Amino acid sequence: MNKEAAYWITLAHLPGWGHLKINNLIIKFYHENKQTIEDFFQLSENEWITQYGIEYKEIEDLKKAKSELANNAFLAESLLNEGYELIPITSPEYSKTLKDNLKAAHAPALLYVKGNKQIMHEKSIAIVGSRNASEKSLEFTDNIAKLASKEYKVVVSGFAKGVDKQALDSAINYKGQSIIVLPQGIMTFGSGYQKYYKQIVEGDVLVLSTFFPKVPWKAELAMARNPVIYGLADEIYVAESSEKGGTWSGVVDGLRKNRKIYVRKPEPSENTANNLLIQKGAIAVDFNGNPVHSYQPVETIEFTSVANEPVADFKNKIFELLSYGEYSAKDVIKKLRLTWTEKKLRDFLKAQQEVETIHKKPLHFTMKNSIIKQKKLFE
Amino acid sequence: MIRQEAEVILQKTFKLSHFYDEQWTTIEKILKGERVLLIEKTGFGKSLCFQFPAVLFKGTTVIFSPLIALMRDQVKKLTSLGISARCVNCEQTLEENSQIITDAKNGKIKILYIAPERQENSEWIEATRQMNLSMVVVDEAHCISVWGHDFRPAFRRIINLVNLLPEGLPVLATTATATKKVESDIAEQMGNNLSIIRGTLMRDNFKLYVIKVNSEDEKMIWLGQYLNKFPGSGILYTGTRVDTEIYSKWFEYLKIPSAGYNAGLDAESRIAIENGLMNNQWKCVISTNALGMGIDKPDIRFIVHTQIPQSPVHYYQEIGRAGRDGQPTHIILFYNPEDRELPEAFIEGGRPAISKYEKVIIAVKNEMLGERELIKKTNLKQNQIRVIKADLIEQKIIREVTIGKSKKFEYITGAPKLNTKAFEELRAGKTRDLEKMIEYVETNQSRMKYLCDYLGDYSAHSFNNCDNTGLKKITVSVSPEWNQKLQDFREDYFPELEVETKGTNLANGVAASYYGISNVGGALHRSKYENGGDFPDFLLRLILKAYRKKFGQEKYDLILYVPPTKSGDLVKNFAMKVSQVLKFPIYHDLTKQRITSEQKVFENSYLKHDNVKDAFVYNAPDEIKGKSILLIDDIFDSGATVKEIGRYLSNIGAVKITPLVIARTVGGDLV
Repeated sequence: MNKEAAYWITLAHLPGWGHLKINNLIIKFYHENKQTIEDFFQLSENEWITQYGIEYKEIEDLKKAKSELANNAFLAESLLNEGYELIPITSPEYSKTLKDNLKAAHAPALLYVKGNKQIMHEKSIAIVGSRNASEKSLEFTDNIAKLASKEYKVVVSGFAKGVDKQALDSAINYKGQSIIVLPQGIMTFGSGYQKYYKQIVEGDVLVLSTFFPKVPWKAELAMARNPVIYGLADEIYVAESSEKGGTWSGVVDGLRKNRKIYVRKPEPSENTANNLLIQKGAIAVDFNGNPVHSYQPVETIEFTSVANEPVADFKNKIFELLSYGEYSAKDVIKKLRLTWTEKKLRDFLKAQQEVETIHKKPLHFTMKNSIIKQKKLFE
Repeated sequence: MIRQEAEVILQKTFKLSHFYDEQWTTIEKILKGERVLLIEKTGFGKSLCFQFPAVLFKGTTVIFSPLIALMRDQVKKLTSLGISARCVNCEQTLEENSQIITDAKNGKIKILYIAPERQENSEWIEATRQMNLSMVVVDEAHCISVWGHDFRPAFRRIINLVNLLPEGLPVLATTATATKKVESDIAEQMGNNLSIIRGTLMRDNFKLYVIKVNSEDEKMIWLGQYLNKFPGSGILYTGTRVDTEIYSKWFEYLKIPSAGYNAGLDAESRIAIENGLMNNQWKCVISTNALGMGIDKPDIRFIVHTQIPQSPVHYYQEIGRAGRDGQPTHIILFYNPEDRELPEAFIEGGRPAISKYEKVIIAVKNEMLGERELIKKTNLKQNQIRVIKADLIEQKIIREVTIGKSKKFEYITGAPKLNTKAFEELRAGKTRDLEKMIEYVETNQSRMKYLCDYLGDYSAHSFNNCDNTGLKKITVSVSPEWNQKLQDFREDYFPELEVETKGTNLANGVAASYYGISNVGGALHRSKYENGGDFPDFLLRLILKAYRKKFGQEKYDLILYVPPTKSGDLVKNFAMKVSQVLKFPIYHDLTKQRITSEQKVFENSYLKHDNVKDAFVYNAPDEIKGKSILLIDDIFDSGATVKEIGRYLSNIGAVKITPLVIARTVGGDLV
């Protein structure tokens, strides 16, 4: 593989090419035509067109990429010299879990790693959550990491503050193994390698990145990294999520990809979005990570008052609430702390095309395209 | 492109009329994007094989070369031909190097010479991402092989780079000296699709002599008698840096114009000496083998070795620098059977003890360490650490990584055990090479043929250019006058102590002798460690002579001496005697404010420095203000103690501090 390093770096970061496009090309030359990446790049423009049916615009991209191979050889040499390893998607060393979870559409073509690669092939869990999680969430995280480490499961962590960091520290503390998925290039983790030196040397930590090796931390990379964290894990535990941000979009993305996601059952008094996730299809779990099937999240959803907002705004809020289930006018007023009378709200809801009225006593309302219903469609 | 077309361009660009066949064969392959290993003797014109295609290529050609002098030389030549060439090396300022790298990035440079160590520099790696690379050249490719005479770990990375370069990018590796074994090692490392082109090594303008002697004195006397009679100017190679100093003082004494050269000199002095050599400013330059590799002087008329080299490859490489104009050239090797001890010691002591390797492995396993931290942690010498480090990297037990801006060593997960067998094999290989070199001395056959055979050039020639095949043998006869001359020289020559540093008022001092070379070391040892009483009077006479030679009638305001760690009042009593004769008052107020260990227990200068840091105090600082001070000690090793005292005394107002010691050691750390 090392011989091909410059080629893979070049292909994996082709500007403007998404995962699917890159992976489709790999499938073509590697699986269908049984060619190496080196063979592919040695082909003439004409052969790219005739053998691969590559379009003009892409030919231009590939030509430019080809001219950068020598430059990337220098980068590859310095990467390998510093002990980083490159694992292309065609390699048996590439995490099978990641490939199965993300598929061609989302799996990165190249992984940059440092540490014990074998860790990628163990049973694994990810524990995710807010950067400023509550004490409760951190205790949960610690406990799940402890249980995982006991069962020789690898803890996948995103190396963000809060839950991510707790998951990693706990796994190390309980002598478990971890994968750190970086929101930056693998060569920019400097002091991190010093901090986790012992664990890396002893084979308990693998550092992994999918980005260009020298790119520094960026918010969008943190977002782009989330699918990799979820993808590397067999099981996903959410300690705490707010209604927006990385954890939220990560979990929603995971649910959309039909992943089984376990969410810590929140305390009634909590102001987290855990219940929303549970309503969206995540599975509530107790402190030890055991599913609590009887749990009904509906009663505890907290919304802030929208009473003084313009009509359009609280219309959205009401619609959002209704997208999670069936509610009576009284429920809605209470949850959203509206100042309207029940009658006024009922009349308002009946007049909305998107809202479905359920005829039971008292009258209930829900969105015609509510998530609960969608989920049923797929069950 | 056909040869005729190429030769038209050659005439226009390089002012040369034609290629040699082997040059053209190489160039043709390069132009087709192939990989070539070119083995040709010095002076063949290897450089043209990459310079010519480089001029034709659109982008930049990068040449990795370990020889700064050669890079400078070739850049000068190319520039004069109007070809944009530059070199990046450690002798230039950071700004100069940055500017050159930026120019290369912007496509302003056709030919870029660069030291292989540069591959460790992140600015360079960053720049390579944006350069338009046309070709990569590995000069002195034998440095890739541990079986070569000059293995350099930095080349490891260059080879790795070559293996990562895309197919179709031309790569040329060149060397003048590769045995068959080294050749196949290089070929194996450079991977498939490599063509090897090998030329002949015969140098028929050489007149090869071996002069057998029985002592160092005989070498010095013969050279004193005959060196001036050689035609032209040349190079005298010695075995050690101390020897370069002694020979250059000897020639100075005899008024033979010469200059001493070694790798310890600063860049400016080195360049000045190289230029002087080019301009025939001296009869000879005296050097360790640091000089001459890649110096483009066609008319070096003689090369003398006072010490037998480690192997025939070393020897061929070193003499290969002479007589490139094809004119008769004298090649002389002195051999005293005792001389084999130096290369033997080098082979034996080339590697530190295994326990020291283990020490380093344990330290690095435990935490990520920089070189300096590692030296402190293990109490090993810097040069030992460097050898160990290179071996451990080679064996894939540790690796060097960059954390932020600093280099650290880290242990490689799952690394193999230290392979000591590899060391033994290398040592056995080196011993065999040395035996082969001694065989060169002893042979009664053609010496040129012997060297060619050894280097894998079996082509047939008629050989009649050595003292076994047609030239008269040289023998040494020593007359009493010359013996006396040498004796007088020896008693008139004293090693200098270079301690001047910015920010202190230290001045360079003098020692009465080298520690190991005369009877001085023995005398010191008896007094210090065998209860031999005060230092004997002959040391006093010698140190006073050294003082007068160096300083004449110069006066000092006062004498101080280094307070002892263990040896009681020896230095104090000695300093009092010096004070009596020189008539400078002696003060006794320089003391230690904390207990220090004997410096000799520390193996490296960092720990020596820490040992004495802030250890000294002067009890009546007012006595020092505005004064010039002669500082006396018995032995000068790393100089850490003298430098620390000099720093301290400068801070409290001394205007000049000059060390005067009995002996300076040889080969101390960082010397």
